[in-house]
Amino acid sequence: MSDKRPVNLDLGTFKHPLIAMVSICHRISGVVLFVGLVFLFCLFDTSLSGAAGFASAQDALQTSFVAQFITWGLLTSLGFHFSAGMKHLIMDVGVGEELDSANNAAKMVVGLTLILAVLAGVWVW
Amino acid sequence: MLTVSVYRYHPELDKKPYMQDFQVDTGGKDLMVLDVLNMLKVQDSGLAYRRSCREGVCGSDGMNINGVNGLACITPLSACVKNNKLILRPLPALPVIRDLVIDMDQFYKQYEKVKPFLLNDTPAPAIERLQSPEEREKLDGLYECILCACCSTACPSFWWNPDKFIGPSGLLQAYRFLADSRDTATEERLADLDDPFSVFRCHGIMNCVTVCPKGLNPTKAIGHIRNMLLTRAT
Repeated sequence: MSDKRPVNLDLGTFKHPLIAMVSICHRISGVVLFVGLVFLFCLFDTSLSGAAGFASAQDALQTSFVAQFITWGLLTSLGFHFSAGMKHLIMDVGVGEELDSANNAAKMVVGLTLILAVLAGVWVW
Repeated sequence: MLTVSVYRYHPELDKKPYMQDFQVDTGGKDLMVLDVLNMLKVQDSGLAYRRSCREGVCGSDGMNINGVNGLACITPLSACVKNNKLILRPLPALPVIRDLVIDMDQFYKQYEKVKPFLLNDTPAPAIERLQSPEEREKLDGLYECILCACCSTACPSFWWNPDKFIGPSGLLQAYRFLADSRDTATEERLADLDDPFSVFRCHGIMNCVTVCPKGLNPTKAIGHIRNMLLTRAT
């Protein structure tokens, strides 16, 4: 007889509602922002190192696709993290604790992020 | 023919659980998932699952149906079957005893922690403790819970901390007694819940509300408890 009981926790077999996906993505975007700060600090450091450094940082943001993509990714993460965070705060006050309203709020977070992603793209490129 | 894929695990024969496929003739009828399970039982009498009232009152047959927790007896095939396939797995995160039967010990331990009974240290009146209709109304949406565990086992916070986070079901019951005008132990109850895990592991993703077969809202109850804890602390 097997002495260790199995546990059904194969996440791929479960359906995850939108509200749950927004919540986990809120965390992931938080980690992305934290890690991305390293990039921003490096860029900031370069830009402060002197006139030549400032020019190279400016050049990177204007010509390097990688730097532009990272900037866009960070802005999008920030947009998502901010709107999902606002949703959390509003729910903490006791607003939108019904399933319908929470679902709509999650959809609004996704919609708002898409808009912000486009705006960030326009600004970066 | 409906294809039914069932999670199988026999503690004395199997080292690991596996999925077994069955073919079932539903006759084109929109049966309940429990009816299909009963048909499987005819094909394989060794299949184990819990059931009792078969009408959504006892809460015995909670299971993961096509990825969503629910009661097999009140879930019609039309509400869950996709591409003519029904996938039945035990409720997540609790240890599997056999097939679809889980060990609910951890779930009941959390229920026990919230002292799910009336505490009142004032002398009992001659007849009964009266409540106004308004006071009674506060218990609606709280007392109807049948402890099927669909909510707690759908909650990631409960998955990762089943021993420390009370879980939506237990917290709904905790609030049921916090909201009861006849209960005098509010302060003690709140003191028992006042730690980083018991209540505050809830992040409001509402998986509990999504799956509750009785249409209850543990997230809202947890919000009320959180507010009571915050008021108490200030």
